[in-house]
Amino acid sequence: MVAALKLVGVRKSFDGFVALDDAEFEARAGEVHALLGENGAGKSSLMNVAAGLYTPDAGQIFVDGEEVVLSGPREATACRIGMVHQEFKLVRPFTVVENVLLANWRGRFAPGVRETERQIKKKAAELGFDIDPKSRIDELSIAERQRVEIIKVLLAGARILILDEPTAVLTDEEAVRLLKTVRALAAGGAAVVLVTHKLGEVTTFTDRVTVMRNGRAIALLNSRATDAAQLTQLAVGTTVASPRRASSPPGEPCITVKGLRAARADGHVTVNDTSFYIRAREIYGVAGVGGNGQTELVEALTGVRAPLAGSIEIEGAGDATRASPERLRDFGIACIPSDRFGYGIAGGLSVVDNFCVGQIGEGIYGSWMRTNGSAMREATTEAVGEFDVQGVRTLRQRAALLSGGNAQKLIIAREFTRNPKVIVAHSPSRGLDVRACAAVHERLLTARARGAAILLISDDLDEVLSLSDRIGVMTRGRIAAEFEAPADRQAVGRIMVHHA
Amino acid sequence: MLNDPLPVASRTQTRSAKKHADHGWRLGRLNLELRQYMSPWYQALILGSALVVGLGVSAALLVAAGVKPAALFDEFIVDNCTDPENLHSILFQAAPLIFVGVSAALAFRVRFWNLGIEGQMIWGGIGATAVSFYDTGPPALRLFLMMVFAALAGAAWIIVPLWLRVRWHINEIIITLLLNYVALNFLLHLLYGPWLDPKDNFPHSPQFRAFERLPELGFGISSALVLALLFTALSGWLVLVTRFGFFMRFVQNNDRMALAVGVPIGLVTMVSALFSGALSGLAGFVIAAAQEGRLTQSYFEGYGFSGILIAFLARSNPVAAMVVAILVAVLFVSGRSLQVFYQIPFAMVQLIQAIIVICVAASEFLMRHRVHWVR
Repeated sequence: MVAALKLVGVRKSFDGFVALDDAEFEARAGEVHALLGENGAGKSSLMNVAAGLYTPDAGQIFVDGEEVVLSGPREATACRIGMVHQEFKLVRPFTVVENVLLANWRGRFAPGVRETERQIKKKAAELGFDIDPKSRIDELSIAERQRVEIIKVLLAGARILILDEPTAVLTDEEAVRLLKTVRALAAGGAAVVLVTHKLGEVTTFTDRVTVMRNGRAIALLNSRATDAAQLTQLAVGTTVASPRRASSPPGEPCITVKGLRAARADGHVTVNDTSFYIRAREIYGVAGVGGNGQTELVEALTGVRAPLAGSIEIEGAGDATRASPERLRDFGIACIPSDRFGYGIAGGLSVVDNFCVGQIGEGIYGSWMRTNGSAMREATTEAVGEFDVQGVRTLRQRAALLSGGNAQKLIIAREFTRNPKVIVAHSPSRGLDVRACAAVHERLLTARARGAAILLISDDLDEVLSLSDRIGVMTRGRIAAEFEAPADRQAVGRIMVHHA
Repeated sequence: MLNDPLPVASRTQTRSAKKHADHGWRLGRLNLELRQYMSPWYQALILGSALVVGLGVSAALLVAAGVKPAALFDEFIVDNCTDPENLHSILFQAAPLIFVGVSAALAFRVRFWNLGIEGQMIWGGIGATAVSFYDTGPPALRLFLMMVFAALAGAAWIIVPLWLRVRWHINEIIITLLLNYVALNFLLHLLYGPWLDPKDNFPHSPQFRAFERLPELGFGISSALVLALLFTALSGWLVLVTRFGFFMRFVQNNDRMALAVGVPIGLVTMVSALFSGALSGLAGFVIAAAQEGRLTQSYFEGYGFSGILIAFLARSNPVAAMVVAILVAVLFVSGRSLQVFYQIPFAMVQLIQAIIVICVAASEFLMRHRVHWVR
């Protein structure tokens, strides 16, 4: 049987950095093929080569056994290869029809719109999607946008479908639904490539799996004949021990939130009468489906958004309800934001600047009249080493060039060197690979042992369950229930879904 | 898997050969990579090449407009380097350009798009002239008072758009731009009304007295230039050395993130924008007090555009802005003599400015990317 898609000896480097080093890959029609690996292993790069976005330095691409040269996505589409990227390629103010039309241009506009609309409806019905072709992308949820992307690619005639970490942005339920759709597509004869670093997805939903490490494909396995331990071993190189929760008893309440109310920028109240407290040496986990007020809660706690009502009290500092971010940081609040590159890092500035901005106000990097560059570089070098931030080739390098995991480590380095009293961590391991994820968890547990009060907000229920001392379930802007660890996964899940 | 390898291989070859023939010339063969880091030397090289290309295109345009290449060389290089008179006018012309360039650079550093430089210059001129017109303060302090009032008036003219921006997130671009017309009409009101020169009834203010004019310091150096250099140094220190400047970088790069990590972005934005307005006001002051010796109707014209251009070419670095401003002064002065001797319209000077900006802007792409051909 000839592989639907076959990549041979693909090399690709970026400004001296070798992303792909003789990588091999093949996927057959009718299968779901997982592409597994850590962040930076080269999964997305390899698939971008297959989708015509990257021109490889060397190597060949075969579609149905014939070699092709792809100079752009248009040629990939002509070869019936379609890719759904991690960051959706949709024009947000446009409607669904317009977006699909943009990717699959018709000869004449008005008949094209009608024709496309009809096709979208047909395809959506086939896949069991509920999508109004006339709605604007802006109005759709993340999961719905993803469905639009899939329809867009399928209507372009894709028979080789590449999904780049499709479940990273979805809730558990949405993910399962998507993976079932993907299976149905494969059953219909498509070759589906599922880029992922979630082991569970690989073993339950795919036929074969290619494991990548350091730009090479190091193993091709039958998914049913392998298990999570073997895959971890292959992807990471060593087995990562999951951090264990320490059992030291918590101290006095460090931060107390009472009846907090906050609204989004558009006036919609998303945090409604939220109350909880966190003690020193305690991790308080907030579980819940994303969009139930978590973002606004974080913004209120870090001073970025003024709450409408309620109070925030920090032990030793008193009332901090409408304090500015600067004052809250003085009180000892640190934050790991969920949007790493939006709120955590200034991408255009250097690693040094991004690290030092956290403490420059304390005067340790020179007086206000003169910043001390060498002190800043020294402190950064030390922190980069201590917090294991990799990929820093020079301290002057722009922070945007760090991978997600390393950017997160840099943020943690900045926030934790101040020895904060209260840490607000919002989805701290989102999009990170196994190893980076473990490093982040380790840091949170160390901070806890040191005496910090930690608020851990995450869409990933397993993360919350494994790290927290107490768990609050947030639905519709309030804490609907609280559990002591160890909490029952089923019970927590029920509250998450039922009140949502 | 390939149970029949030979035929497949031969098919492969013909197909790929055809593909190459079809697409060999296309951009797809051109490979673009983001650069991780770029040495300052390479950046300077790229920037230098862009300038050379820009100047080459400009020279070609001037030749096409009827200037002989030899004359071009004379006007721009020989005269400017050898003729002390020319050198003097360049330095004379440079002072207000430095002020507006640094002014724009400070505003852009905090992403405040100050298109109101001309309006602030008008108010700077009005502020200085008011001190002269109403005979305020002793003669010994007169110039100093004129300067202070010019700076304050320039800064005051930026308060409304600044407040709207910081408090309500209202876009400053339109407001600063339109306020220029308000300032202009107020200026005309003064010049045709209460401040009309009674001596000749022309619409300009009465001549400043001797002690109200910025003196020459000898060697062709005007005190206006010294003032400009002083304020450049002050701005350079603020932007490049102080903690305030460190914060400005964050406001410029990612203000949402800056807010979250405790950078006082409101304060930083306001101080920088007010300082920018004050510097534009001072530009108005030096033109009135050093060049014209009175308030006229059009002393500010073109400076708004030039200021933005200088700040852009200098990448919002005040010290670099000073250097670029002097080069733009060369262009202004040479442009004027071309105007006189070759009937080249002054618009040509603006065209040359624009060409250079386009070339430098385009070179940014090469700084950020590495381009190479595959195979």
